[in-house]
Amino acid sequence: MASRAETAMDPVHERLGLSAGLRYRLGRFLLIGIPLAILVIWTTLPILWAVLSSLKESLEIYESNTLLPANPNLDGYRTVLAMRGFDSWLLNSFLVTVVATIVPLALSILAAYGFARYAFRFRHVLLLLYLIPRIIPRVSLIVPLNSLMSDLGLINTYWVLFITYTASAIPLSTWILVGFFAAIPKEIEESATMDGANMWHRLRRVILPIAWPGVVTAGVLCIREAWNEFAFVLALINETTMRTLPYQLYMLKDSMGVQDYAVYNAFTVLTVLPLLIVYLLLERRVVESIVSGAVK
Amino acid sequence: MSTPLVELHDLRKSFGSLEVLHGIELAIEQHAFVVLVGPSGCGKSTLLRMIAGLESVTSGSIVMDGRVVNRVPAKDRGIAMVFQSYALYPHMTVRENLSFSLEMAKTAKSVKEERIERAAGILYLDSLLERFPAQLSGGQRQRVAMGRALVREPRLFLFDEPLSNLDAKLRVEMRAEIKALHQRLSSTTIYVTHDQVEAMTMADLVVVMNDGRIEQLGPPLELYDHPATVFVADFLGSPAMNLIKGTVMAGEAGPAIDVGNDLTLPVPPSPAVSPGVEVVYGLRPEHLRIAEPDAGLPATVTLVEPAGFETHLHADIGSHVVRVISTERLEVVPGDPVALVPDPARVHLFDPGTGRRLDG
Repeated sequence: MASRAETAMDPVHERLGLSAGLRYRLGRFLLIGIPLAILVIWTTLPILWAVLSSLKESLEIYESNTLLPANPNLDGYRTVLAMRGFDSWLLNSFLVTVVATIVPLALSILAAYGFARYAFRFRHVLLLLYLIPRIIPRVSLIVPLNSLMSDLGLINTYWVLFITYTASAIPLSTWILVGFFAAIPKEIEESATMDGANMWHRLRRVILPIAWPGVVTAGVLCIREAWNEFAFVLALINETTMRTLPYQLYMLKDSMGVQDYAVYNAFTVLTVLPLLIVYLLLERRVVESIVSGAVK
Repeated sequence: MSTPLVELHDLRKSFGSLEVLHGIELAIEQHAFVVLVGPSGCGKSTLLRMIAGLESVTSGSIVMDGRVVNRVPAKDRGIAMVFQSYALYPHMTVRENLSFSLEMAKTAKSVKEERIERAAGILYLDSLLERFPAQLSGGQRQRVAMGRALVREPRLFLFDEPLSNLDAKLRVEMRAEIKALHQRLSSTTIYVTHDQVEAMTMADLVVVMNDGRIEQLGPPLELYDHPATVFVADFLGSPAMNLIKGTVMAGEAGPAIDVGNDLTLPVPPSPAVSPGVEVVYGLRPEHLRIAEPDAGLPATVTLVEPAGFETHLHADIGSHVVRVISTERLEVVPGDPVALVPDPARVHLFDPGTGRRLDG
């Protein structure tokens, strides 16, 4: 009976001679495949364009509209790497990113554990207040921050970047970790309590290993946030040697009369590359889940 | 008699203004297998968690070995607990799961290895020691959870509905294993379940709980044969006891219970039953015998459930449907008339107001 009803409902497919399997694959391609392809092109095309342009000759981009370089070469990269100060900009970026990843993660882990595991007054309000730094436009903070940091004598120091980057990374990583910690069944922790583990042992030996994908996710976002940060460094640093890569990228554009797009794009690629490597290395960790099997 | 291992005195627990345990009094002897049984929300798990040290005590006291342990942390009470959800550490192998508590206690490596090997041997985990929980079946995970309790060599084992997540066959197997383990180790066990069959089959002492109070406690068959309240009578036994409201009347052949529709049920002579008293008449399904028509209470079969060894019947006796268990193979179908003969010596009478037993 059911098959008769199906046949009656699909006369068009019958006439076209499409089997159920083929129809399913076609539908999947139309609904998922095409939008996915568009999205991939949308996001990767600018990067591809930057990579290809970085391999062109200095003025080639003004002369032709082709995507592929006529004489691919690495001159742009050589120029960037030979720039005076490139190593210190790279080091600055690396240093602030390391600090602005480790410190917020450490603080967020403790905060998130408290939010996820302890019922205390105003917990939800506090968690919402945590989001304020992310809700307020960063640009609106620049003037008061500049004034405050000047008073503290921290302008043009690493400290000013450590403090501002850490403060802006904590809310996001805390929110991510609260979700991961809260998802761990309470019994697992109670079981550890019965086994004699105190809070530190529970956190270190039980909670963190289980929530590791969450910690890595939060870490990757902290890295991205710090590596790409531009507004604070622009407002709070004005010494050439203290610049980070995004800042210098901006200055590169400013300081040249005629844009050397090959150099400019080589700089962009070199700025993005470390982040891309981090993503690729940690991507598997981010998506894997090891909680299955813990409890029924 | 030796000192009880655990004593609970007027133990109360409140969550905010809601009191969920109302003055629990209980003594648990060394080596006993005590089962706390009751419906969902009766407070049995909360009581277990208080004994474990996972819930605070609102008032009253928990005494272990003569010492009040209300404020003693869970890890220092010498207790191991098996959780309903197993609560294994998913990122650790079976061996690491077993050794975790020993590491926390800074146990010497040789002792640790020896205890793990021993527990693994007892629970048939030898070949699974290097696997992760996700690679184990439900029964194996349950065994690991028990092994984790075992390696600590605790004075008291707590089980919180440990078999609820297993399928029926495995549950019966694990039930026997837990009981055998208890006998072998001669340990003291408190076991929480909502399954009265588990309570009956495993316990030395059954504690029936209802609404934050102990309804009755005693050996399983004593509770089955002499339930102190309607609740216990109804809760223990499957199928449940037949409970019918009626009024005592003086019959020609002694007192009987008028249950309406011109139907009277026999009771043994007892000072508790004077004419005119309202009672709840209780009779277990196996104490109703099926007889030839006209040889007992006329009834009509409404449902037949062959269970193999025995047959369960539902029969309409006018205003009530009663459950009957027969160990004979019955050739009856719904609609057939039968006669039922109650065994007056096995009748239980309860006060309909208080729910308490009337006949002592």
